[in-house]
Amino acid sequence: MLKTASYAVRVGCCVHVFHRSIYEVTETSGESMMPTINYKDDYVHVNKFNKLGRRCQFGDIVVVAKPTDPSQRVCKRITGMPRDFVLIDPSDPHSHDMIQVPDGHIWVTGDNLSHSIDSRTYGPLPMALIKGRVVAASLGFSVRKV
Amino acid sequence: MHASLKTALFTLSWVPVFISVQQVCGQLIWIQGRSMQPSLNPDSSLGTRDLLLIQKYGLRRADSFSKGDVVILHSPIDPEKILVKRITALQNETVKPRSSSYPKKQLKIPPNHLWIEGDSIHSVDSNSFGPVSSGLVVGKARWIVYPFNRYGPIPSKSLDME
Repeated sequence: MLKTASYAVRVGCCVHVFHRSIYEVTETSGESMMPTINYKDDYVHVNKFNKLGRRCQFGDIVVVAKPTDPSQRVCKRITGMPRDFVLIDPSDPHSHDMIQVPDGHIWVTGDNLSHSIDSRTYGPLPMALIKGRVVAASLGFSVRKV
Repeated sequence: MHASLKTALFTLSWVPVFISVQQVCGQLIWIQGRSMQPSLNPDSSLGTRDLLLIQKYGLRRADSFSKGDVVILHSPIDPEKILVKRITALQNETVKPRSSSYPKKQLKIPPNHLWIEGDSIHSVDSNSFGPVSSGLVVGKARWIVYPFNRYGPIPSKSLDME
């Protein structure tokens, strides 16, 4: 009995460390990354070696903690690296406001600009909130690179 | 040979448990720098650094923080850097930044953000980079473990001013 519990603890912690620092597959929901990631039943494969923005590049899809509610995790695409100048809202043809992304921050937007809460709302995002980089997505058993 | 291999595997199997406890429950951290003087690392000439016990659990919600708490967090301007600062204002409060170089005279802290300052004047804190998301917080400092003559809870700032 005690031996089983001990095994369970060790296996559980092993899975926890693996998910936190190496690789994780999680279900996603929400339409902000359509059409790259489906609004439901889609799974994303997350490489955790890229946490804290390590070796992240312009155009990568990252999993981040939402700055205005860190218990929520969101999937967004990096559309601005530190010191880049970005147009705050490209979906509004009359707005020409630009912002420079501060050091240690990135600019993130959803692929579905009309249904996404992202840097256009909460501003540049600290890289320390990056939990990992999305390397693939899978719907059922078909895995595709993103 | 067989027995030593078994011992090695047994020890190895507990390593993830140890890491998990550090990530989820609590951790001991050495404090560097003088930004929290005189509460932490009070005398840099002694050559000793403070060792703190950090609480890692129960920090998900915004109301798990209160004014005066000392927190460990990732620097918003350099993700690899870890800071130790004191919370001086909570979400939805209005603050006046101390430094004149900050672009705004007065601002309201956004939801789930904190205003953090070092106890000493030699500190890079919210007065230069603004409010920080509570998602950057790694843990809350609870206890000074070493040096032994300072063993006890983290001094509050008002106490030191007396």
